[in-house]
Amino acid sequence: MKAARIGAILLLALVAAGALMPERWAAGRYDQQFRELPDAPPSAQFPLGTDAVGRDRLSRLLYGTRVSLLLAPAAALLSCLAAGLLGGIAGYAGGFTDRAIVSAADFFLSVPWLLLLLIVRACLPLDVSPAASVAITFALLGLMGWAAPARIVRAAVASLMDSEFVLMARARGYSSWRVLLRQLLPNVTPVLLAQFWIAVPAYILTETTLGMLGLGVAEPLPSWGGLLRELEGVSPLDQPYLLAPAILLAAVVGSLQLILPREDYPV
Amino acid sequence: MKRFSREMARMIALVLVTGVAAAVLVRYSPGTFVDERELNQQLGEDSLAALRAHKEHNRNLAKNLVGYFRGLAHGDLGYSESNSAPVRQLIADRAPETLRELAIGLIGGWLIGLGCAIPVGRFRRAWAWDAASSGAAGLVLSLPAALIAYFCLTAGAASGAVLIVVLAPRIFRFARNVLVQAYGSAHVEVARARGIREWTILRTQVLSDAAPQLLALLASSASMAIGAAIPVEAICGSPGLGRLAWQAATARDLPLLMNLTMLVGLATTLAMSLSEAPGLRAGRPGAGDTA
Repeated sequence: MKAARIGAILLLALVAAGALMPERWAAGRYDQQFRELPDAPPSAQFPLGTDAVGRDRLSRLLYGTRVSLLLAPAAALLSCLAAGLLGGIAGYAGGFTDRAIVSAADFFLSVPWLLLLLIVRACLPLDVSPAASVAITFALLGLMGWAAPARIVRAAVASLMDSEFVLMARARGYSSWRVLLRQLLPNVTPVLLAQFWIAVPAYILTETTLGMLGLGVAEPLPSWGGLLRELEGVSPLDQPYLLAPAILLAAVVGSLQLILPREDYPV
Repeated sequence: MKRFSREMARMIALVLVTGVAAAVLVRYSPGTFVDERELNQQLGEDSLAALRAHKEHNRNLAKNLVGYFRGLAHGDLGYSESNSAPVRQLIADRAPETLRELAIGLIGGWLIGLGCAIPVGRFRRAWAWDAASSGAAGLVLSLPAALIAYFCLTAGAASGAVLIVVLAPRIFRFARNVLVQAYGSAHVEVARARGIREWTILRTQVLSDAAPQLLALLASSASMAIGAAIPVEAICGSPGLGRLAWQAATARDLPLLMNLTMLVGLATTLAMSLSEAPGLRAGRPGAGDTA
C-alpha cells in the first residue's frame, strides 16, 4: 500500500510537471488553430491529433490539466476556510448561532450537490469571458461545498470545548481569541486538512461533470469536462486517442484517492 | 413521537426553504425576463403586449410565491413555460421512468456491491479477489457519473444500467469494510468452530451484526442515486425527472425548477433522515459527504 501511495505521488508530480510546462510538449497554444489540419489523426507533430477547428489536442489537454490541478485545490481551500470559520463559530458559540449555522448547512445538504450547482450556475450569466467562467465555476464549487466540512469542524470544536485544556484556559481568564487561536485552531487544523484533501478530487470530478453538461469552463479555454464532450456520439474504439482526458482524469483522481482513501465518493 | 414530529417539521421547513431559495435565485438571475419570442417578427402588437403583461405579472416574487403555495394546497403545481405543459403533468409523466431507473440502479448496485464484498469478508485468503474488486471499484470511483454514462451509452446500455455501474463500487467499498469487521468478530469464529454452515453464519451472525450500518448505507445509497440520476439522464437522454431538472435549470423555468427542487430535496432529506435515524447513526457511511 505504501509503494502504491509513493507511486501515486510520483504520478501526480509527473502530471503536474507536464501541465505546468505545456509549451515543452505541445505544438502550440491551446487556442492556436491549424486551419489546414482540422480533425487530424495522431501524428509526430500532434500526438493526440487536432480537434474540429484544428487545435492541438495535447496542448489543450495539458492546459486543461493545469486549470483543474490549480483551481480545484483553490476551490477546496475556499470551502475549507468557509467551513473552518462557520463550523468554528457554531461549535464555539453554541446556542442560537450554532442552530442557525447547522440549519443553513442542512439546507445546503438537503439538495443533491450537483442539482444545487446546476441551478446556481445556470442562474449566473453564461455568456462570459473564459477567465470569468473559470472563476465562476471554481468559486461556486468552493462556496457551495462548505456545508459538509463545516458540520465536521463544528462537531470537532464542540467536543474540544468540553476538553480539560480548554476549560483550564478559560478558567485562567484567557480571552476568546486566545482560546480560539492557541487551543482550538491547532487541534482543528488536521480535520480541515483532511477535508481539504477529500474535497480536491471531488471538485475535479464535479467540474468535469459541469463541463460535460455545458455549464463549466467556457471555450476556448480547455478543461477536462469540455475536452470529454468530444466523446459524445463517437465510439472510443474508433478514435481511442479521444480517451486521453478520461485516462488522465482517472489517473489523477485515482492517485488522490489512493493517497487519502475515503468511503463517501461524489457522483 | 415527539422526536418524529420534530424531524417531520424540520424536513418540511427545509423543503419549503429550498423551494423558496430556488425561486429567489431564478427570479433575480440576470436575463430571467428576456424572452426570445419578442424577437419573432411574425408576432403582432397584441401578442407582444400580452407577452409583456404576462412577464410583468411574473415580476412580483412575493405575489407569485403566495399564488404558488395557494395552488399547491389545491394540487396545482403551476405551468412550465419551457415545456408548454402543467408541471403536475410533467412530473407525473417523467417520475415513473426515474423511479424505474432508481430501482434498477439500487437493486443492481446492491447485488453487485454486496455480492463482491461478501467473498472478501468470508475468505481471508481471497486477496486476489479483494485486489481485483477494489481496483475495479477505485477505477470507477475516479470517473464522474456523466463520463460513465457516455461509456455505457456507447456500449448500448440503458440509464438504469449506468446507475448500477455508478452505485455498485460505492456500495462495495463501504460494505466490504463492514463485512470484514463483522466476519472478524469472535462469535463468528465460535460459530465456525461449532460447525455451523457458512450460509447460516452469514445470515444469522454477520448480516445481523452489520444490519444497522448496511441499512444506513441503503438510505445513503438512495440519496446518491438521486444525485447521480441528473447527469446520467441528461447524458443518456432518458425522459426522467433528472433530465427535466437539468432542462429546467438551463431554461430558468421557475415553476418547474421550484417543484423539482422541492421534490428532490424531500427525497434526499427523507433518505438522509433515515440514515441518521437512531440505531443507524453509529454506522452512517460518509459523514463528510461533500457531494
